[in-house]
Amino acid sequence: MASSWQKQNQELKDARYELLAMTADRRGNLTTSWLDPAGGNHVFSNLKVSDGRFPSLAAALPEIAWDEREIHDLFGWIPMGHPDLRPLIRTPRWRQDFFPMMSPGQAATWLDVEPDLPARKVEGEGVTIMKVGPTHAGIIESGHFVFSLIGENILHLDAHLFQNHRGAEALLEEKPLQQVAPLVTRVCAADTVSNQANWALAVEQLAGFKQSPQLVHQRIILLEAERVLSHLNDLAQIPAGVGFQVAHQRALAMKELWQSSLKTLFGHRFLFDTVRPGWASSAPSDALLADLSELRSLWIPWRQLVSGHHGFIDRMQGVGATSLNQVMRLGAQGVAARAAGKEFDARQLLPWYSELFRGPLIQSSGDVQGRFRVRLDELEASLQMIEQAALELSRTNLQEQRFIPPVTLSGRVVTFTESPHGMNVHDVALEDGRVVRYHMRSATYRNWPLLAQAVAGNTVADFPLINKSFELCYSCTDR
Amino acid sequence: MAKSIKTLQIRHVDAGSCNGCEQELTALTSRDYDMQRYGLDIVASPRHADALLVTGPVTDTMALPLEKVWGAIAAPKVRIAFGDCAIGCGVFQQSYTSHGGLIDSDLEIPGCPPEPGPALAALRDWMGSHSRGKSAYLELGPVEIN
Repeated sequence: MASSWQKQNQELKDARYELLAMTADRRGNLTTSWLDPAGGNHVFSNLKVSDGRFPSLAAALPEIAWDEREIHDLFGWIPMGHPDLRPLIRTPRWRQDFFPMMSPGQAATWLDVEPDLPARKVEGEGVTIMKVGPTHAGIIESGHFVFSLIGENILHLDAHLFQNHRGAEALLEEKPLQQVAPLVTRVCAADTVSNQANWALAVEQLAGFKQSPQLVHQRIILLEAERVLSHLNDLAQIPAGVGFQVAHQRALAMKELWQSSLKTLFGHRFLFDTVRPGWASSAPSDALLADLSELRSLWIPWRQLVSGHHGFIDRMQGVGATSLNQVMRLGAQGVAARAAGKEFDARQLLPWYSELFRGPLIQSSGDVQGRFRVRLDELEASLQMIEQAALELSRTNLQEQRFIPPVTLSGRVVTFTESPHGMNVHDVALEDGRVVRYHMRSATYRNWPLLAQAVAGNTVADFPLINKSFELCYSCTDR
Repeated sequence: MAKSIKTLQIRHVDAGSCNGCEQELTALTSRDYDMQRYGLDIVASPRHADALLVTGPVTDTMALPLEKVWGAIAAPKVRIAFGDCAIGCGVFQQSYTSHGGLIDSDLEIPGCPPEPGPALAALRDWMGSHSRGKSAYLELGPVEIN
């Protein structure tokens, strides 16, 4: 018989609520937080771990399978009835009694064995196993992939990630407010502004601070500037996946131009340390608008080049296809979900975006081309939003808002923004001005299982192309 | 004879980076920086490499793979710590999975992440002031994890 915990969460999923996060703490409290896609209300479901166990939701809600494995690895609580309780983050080098979230600050000792975990493989006549990673031939993040192949076709991909797990959440515990931002900034270079904004929103919400329209516009500029940067990077990598070097190099040149602008305008090429509680870095509107128009002068011919190249389009069509059904079932987020027709973009539920955001941009094909096209459209929409926000700012006299969060700030809040990779969620609990629990759930965490499904049935030579079209962060998944 | 190295073929390993260092390394290969014109390149195998370039604080899960890559590079060989995490002064230094960066580096390139212009200059300066066959180039032993 299903417990009320299972029933409640299942009902929320059936009602098309979006899973924000599943968070555990050291005292054995489990919380799932869900977002009402109609009005943006948060709904929480709570459960107390009993005797070190809790009923698993994963069989009915596959999107939660990784969250429960993570809780099992880091806290030791056992999700009863979980269909696949292999270690996710833990490696054979961890001592059996080592649960890092149960005793933060404890020095780890490592067993002298290999870190590799047993892989799930297909067995049978003619099936070969190809292992890739964790180190790679190019400049990419670490990840270990075990392919089961028949000839050149992928039967199954078992992705072993979390090589980049740095224990950021444990490191954040006990930190006083002013020490949080530098760390949150550096969890992931691709989604740094989104992470910074989530932290700032959390403190501001708990302190009852009201953002001025100016601060909102400054933040939207930074969040959209980050999207432009990340999408330029991803749009550069997809042509590289098929050897279309001209498009690759020209996109990298646009990215370099934009990064140099960001350095000049905001002080950092990835916008590290540009958003804090009550504050955002700002730039003169005329300089920003001039840089935007320079970028556009390169963008327009580049978009024509890639949109009119039949060989390139042929290589993207039908490759790495996902269905809307898969996307919904796995709770996929961001570009990967919108490319398969999911009409969801977290910006539509953020009231402070309502003036500038025009709605999610979607495709229906769910393949490499769909993901490529969503990024093309979103990048142009972001440029427009930056332009509008900059014009708004140029019409008002800048006034610094003063905000010093109370030193005894306490409470718990779940905040989210739409990072370049999708809905990015922070679940923050403070007590007397210190962090007691900080949980980060990036969009890519939900998308990795979708990627594994998308590559099955494709040729192995197309894996780099499919992988680049998802362009999932490892670092904000691994933390 | 003046000390200098004409080429340096680099094998990159991410040992817990945030992907910032990776993106800036990629920028070094783009036409704006074009490090190949100075004899610098990122190569696909440690067997092709003269140097190991590490990013990130060296997470425990990457410590042994890192050691294996170092072992697969033929001597004389060089170790480069790219970015604050690998140098051992990043924000994740104290985390439970961190081995505190790369030890005994021949070259440290600071920054969070290092910007491509200064990073390229640091690599070229170092090449201009070192030569092969000196003691610093001889076998340095396996990566010691502290």
